Amino acid sequence: MHVDYWKEVTGSNLGKTGLIIIGLITALAVSAPLLTPYDPHEKTNTEAFSTPSKDHWLGTNDVRQDIWTRLLYGARTSLAVGFGVAVLSTFLSVLIGGTAAIFGGAYDRLWMRVVDAIIAVPSVIVIILVATYLRPNAALIILLLSLLNWPGGARIIRAQTLSLKERMHVSAARTFGASWSHILLRHIIPDLGPILIAMMIQDARRAVFMEAGLSFLGISDPSMISWGKMMQFARAYIYLDVWMWWLLPAGVALSLTLIGLSLTGFSLETGLDPRLREEKNSAGSR
Amino acid sequence: MHNAQTRCPGEPDMGWDRSKVSTRIAQAMRHTTFFANYAIALFIILTLNFVLPRLMPGDPLLAIYGEEALVVMTPQLEAELIQRFSLDQSMCEQFVAYLLALLHGDLGYSYYYNEQVLDVITAFLPWTLLLAGSALIISTLIGLALGIESGYRRGKTLDKTLLSGLMFLNGFPDFFVGILLLLVFGVGLGLVPLSGGLTPYSDLTGLALAGDILYHLVTPLTALVLVWITSTYLLTRNTMITTLKEGFILTARAKGCGRWRIKYRHAGRNSLLPVVTSTGLHLPHVITGALFIEIVFAYPGAGTLLYNSLLTRDYPLIQGILLLVTIAVLAVNLLVDLLYHKLDPRVNHAR
Amino acid sequence: MLEIKDLKVAYNGMGVLNGVDLSLAKGEVLAVIGESGAGKTTLGLSIMGLLDGCSGKILLDGRNILTLGEEEHRKIRGKDMAMVFQNVEDALDPVYKISDQIEEAILVHEGDAAAQKVIDLLRSVGLPAEKGASHPHELSGGEKQRVLIAMALANDPQVLILDEPTASLDAITKAKMIKLLKEVARKKIVLVATHDIPTATKLTDRMAVLYAGRIVEMGQTADLVEIPRHPYTRGLLRSSLNMTTTKDLQGIPGRMVHGIKGCPFHLRCTQRIGRCAHEVPVLEDVGGRQIACHRGGIVPLLEVNDLKRRFGSVRAVDGVSFTLYEGETLALVGESGSGKTTLAKMVIGLIEPDGGEVRLEGDAVGRRTKEFYERVQMIYQNPKESISHRMNVLEAVEEPLVVQNAGCGKLERAKVVLEDVELPGDGPFLKKYPHQLSGGEAQRVAIARALILGPKLLVADEPTSALDASVQAKILKLLLNLQERRGLTMLFITHDIALARKVSDRMAVMLDGKIIEEGPTNEVITSPVHRYTRRLIETAPDLSNELASF
Repeated sequence: MHVDYWKEVTGSNLGKTGLIIIGLITALAVSAPLLTPYDPHEKTNTEAFSTPSKDHWLGTNDVRQDIWTRLLYGARTSLAVGFGVAVLSTFLSVLIGGTAAIFGGAYDRLWMRVVDAIIAVPSVIVIILVATYLRPNAALIILLLSLLNWPGGARIIRAQTLSLKERMHVSAARTFGASWSHILLRHIIPDLGPILIAMMIQDARRAVFMEAGLSFLGISDPSMISWGKMMQFARAYIYLDVWMWWLLPAGVALSLTLIGLSLTGFSLETGLDPRLREEKNSAGSR
Repeated sequence: MHNAQTRCPGEPDMGWDRSKVSTRIAQAMRHTTFFANYAIALFIILTLNFVLPRLMPGDPLLAIYGEEALVVMTPQLEAELIQRFSLDQSMCEQFVAYLLALLHGDLGYSYYYNEQVLDVITAFLPWTLLLAGSALIISTLIGLALGIESGYRRGKTLDKTLLSGLMFLNGFPDFFVGILLLLVFGVGLGLVPLSGGLTPYSDLTGLALAGDILYHLVTPLTALVLVWITSTYLLTRNTMITTLKEGFILTARAKGCGRWRIKYRHAGRNSLLPVVTSTGLHLPHVITGALFIEIVFAYPGAGTLLYNSLLTRDYPLIQGILLLVTIAVLAVNLLVDLLYHKLDPRVNHAR
Repeated sequence: MLEIKDLKVAYNGMGVLNGVDLSLAKGEVLAVIGESGAGKTTLGLSIMGLLDGCSGKILLDGRNILTLGEEEHRKIRGKDMAMVFQNVEDALDPVYKISDQIEEAILVHEGDAAAQKVIDLLRSVGLPAEKGASHPHELSGGEKQRVLIAMALANDPQVLILDEPTASLDAITKAKMIKLLKEVARKKIVLVATHDIPTATKLTDRMAVLYAGRIVEMGQTADLVEIPRHPYTRGLLRSSLNMTTTKDLQGIPGRMVHGIKGCPFHLRCTQRIGRCAHEVPVLEDVGGRQIACHRGGIVPLLEVNDLKRRFGSVRAVDGVSFTLYEGETLALVGESGSGKTTLAKMVIGLIEPDGGEVRLEGDAVGRRTKEFYERVQMIYQNPKESISHRMNVLEAVEEPLVVQNAGCGKLERAKVVLEDVELPGDGPFLKKYPHQLSGGEAQRVAIARALILGPKLLVADEPTSALDASVQAKILKLLLNLQERRGLTMLFITHDIALARKVSDRMAVMLDGKIIEEGPTNEVITSPVHRYTRRLIETAPDLSNELASF
């Protein structure tokens, strides 16, 4: 069945919204220096907890840093972590899962035991445990999350590759003497592509959430700029009005990012499953 | 099909059903690998728990108890702890001591609360069970009901509204939802308490006590339910859509089954299976959810306990909580696996 | 009594059923035959009220059930009418026991669901009571099918609709199922939708043929299958695999398309006339059979009535009558001296008859005119003699056009027919002379020549007896292909009954100037009446190892 996944996503309202949101946030993150004169760590001359003004669009926090700047740079952290985990985790999943499916035998069995073992471990626990001791920064968080996340993807990739291997067009290619690399490139990866993207979106979403959560709990690198951290600090001053332009924007920004990723991922997954795609009138509809 | 006598001609009748036996053996083998995975996972956590603090450079006692604790500790206590945890002996012996201590239910000693870790945890645990337990039940029920209705009316107004609404809600991270609810209803409208499980120093009993508990429970419960509803809803909805396309739905309609029967007894019941199996996958989200909400509402459960212990670097307490949670997670996964076999009659038979 | 009047069903603007009229009485089993896409399942579903987009009337005991609301419809579904679906694999809910599912059929109609009733139902479809405790995945295909039937019967419905009831079953289970269904069908109105004609033959009394959403023929099953009167029905039977097929399988050119103007079949029909492209034919009674065709079904192309001819004292043809229908092949079998060649020559007009008449498409034929030869042509036994040795291929093939003053375009037309007979149309070949061609090529040229005027009827007098076996096979296949593509009607004359068997739909055996036996080929072969026919069959070549019984 041939499906144009890009069309599926952009065709649905949810998908379009998701893509727009992500695009917007990425644009803001990338152009952060252009949108603010301050450095995120800079302690400005304005007093702490000042209200939004034309100098400080979202006011200042408890140590006189500009909130808007920190918001923009926080986007960089979240997106970096999301993207980093998506790429690294998926890469590992494809590497292990794909080769396991293709080579089979003892290699396959060995790696699948490893996968099963890691999956059985509740990753949240391990992450919290390790983070408590190590106080990881963005790079370390990416590494940690990826290491715990790749087995889930590997299982899926392995299953997909196994089934793709048996497809008729692959068998046909083998009968004209195609090598495994040709088969991988021309037959398997193209079909695997959309699934990989869906996986990456999910990974990114989970990663952004986890990073924010860890920062919120206070067990990530204190010098990292993170929306979660902003929320953690802002919460202490909830009795002041400052939460309106400190806590809320951070929370909203985080939520928007997550929503954007959810919507995009959801519309792609709906497109991927042939049974979920919108169908014209079928018998039994009344 | 199954259970047929499979015997080669000329072979004596051994008096038992060979295929049944081979099925049993295969099942037993599957069960052992099944349990083995969980055992391995548990072992990994225990090892991590043991190894991590000891990887830190410097004094192991310092690493385990943190700097603050050591300042407070008396020399006698220090000596006692060193002896108890065999800290002056080799790694292996320490590990063995650690495991033995675990078997006795000795999870260590919380310096902050000045009690056995296990006792501290059991004081806080019931609140978590109350909050998370009821939230889980309520969110599952609502999620199922909404998912079934939404899936049945795919593409129509109800579905579109619910879908967009819940996807929007889903984007909000757990802690933010909690904060928002707190701000609106607590700080803003002043309708609900800002923290705690009980009004402090109130000494209420009976019905009044129950009422007080409920009063403090409402907002965190709502927050948790909102956070947990979406995944159940989405999965149920999608499964409903695919189930409704199956042949037996048409058969049911032809039999004359009414809408309710088809929706719930046939499509709904069949859609349950994936939802149950994916419970295990959702556990991490459940844990973070309960954790964050408790923290935001300062609800006196295991989540708040964990948070405080993180802040105070009470390492034995942290390790203790995480260990117990791990065991709970593994247990739930096991239960779900077993439950699945009961729910799906197709799974029981060897293919 | 179930009456369906002008039922139209459309999906997304495309008509699936375009005006179906049917009526069934109690105790009747009607087969609705059609290929995929014809609308058989849609018919069943619309009767049950499971589809949107229906218009027309469906009267159950006088009550129009098409206009019922959903709740009222639900009450009769499964109670007064029941349907058994085609796809058995996931037609049962995998999580409930069989007995629960059968019980449900009773419960939803507020019946008394006694466990005994369920057991009785299971027994009535040949399943032991213990099966009730199983789950669907533990059952075989045939058993699942029986459970579905039991569920349909649970409330003893008046109307039973079966959609491909034997499709996924093996031959033996099929036979058992047919027996069961015949039992079940007593005292009910039963509609069986299927493409499996042999099963329909065993199971049903009446048959309706559905094509592109319309009924094109309807009648008593046994009659219809033996003598189909609509071109589509005949085409369908010719493409069905069954033990009575003697002639090779033939397909129908083109494919089923919905929504065309005029008769739905006309684009694939070999006897179409102008009217067929504009008007939709109505289902009408024609001699005891309901047919929807502007020409009243398959038309008789050639009628020979009491033809006589004597040569001196010998009665070469002694009162011969037969009818040759459009698009079919009639084999005239007889030994030399039986009068078959004389008869052929009288048909084509080379010899005048002493008595009797020949009618072509209803009109009596006197002197043969240009129009006649445009419709009837002949090919002979010895191709190298039937073509002048002085003419090359092109000249030979063109000759009829030259004779008829056809004007320009002769070369193109020659090339077209040469292509039809699978010969090259290039320069070098066109210049060849008969003695330069092989026997097979020469005969093909002769056939091309015969086809160039576009005749409807081809009289073939022993066209292959002078050829080698392998060549004979190819020529015969060519003739069959031509019949399939162009709708040629053939009068095939031969002494070889084995050959006749392979090429003909009907066979007439001639002896001493008379036709002593005539009928559908497989009947004549399997149950010959006349002694002479039997002799012919017994002495016909037979490659089996059995000794011929004397």
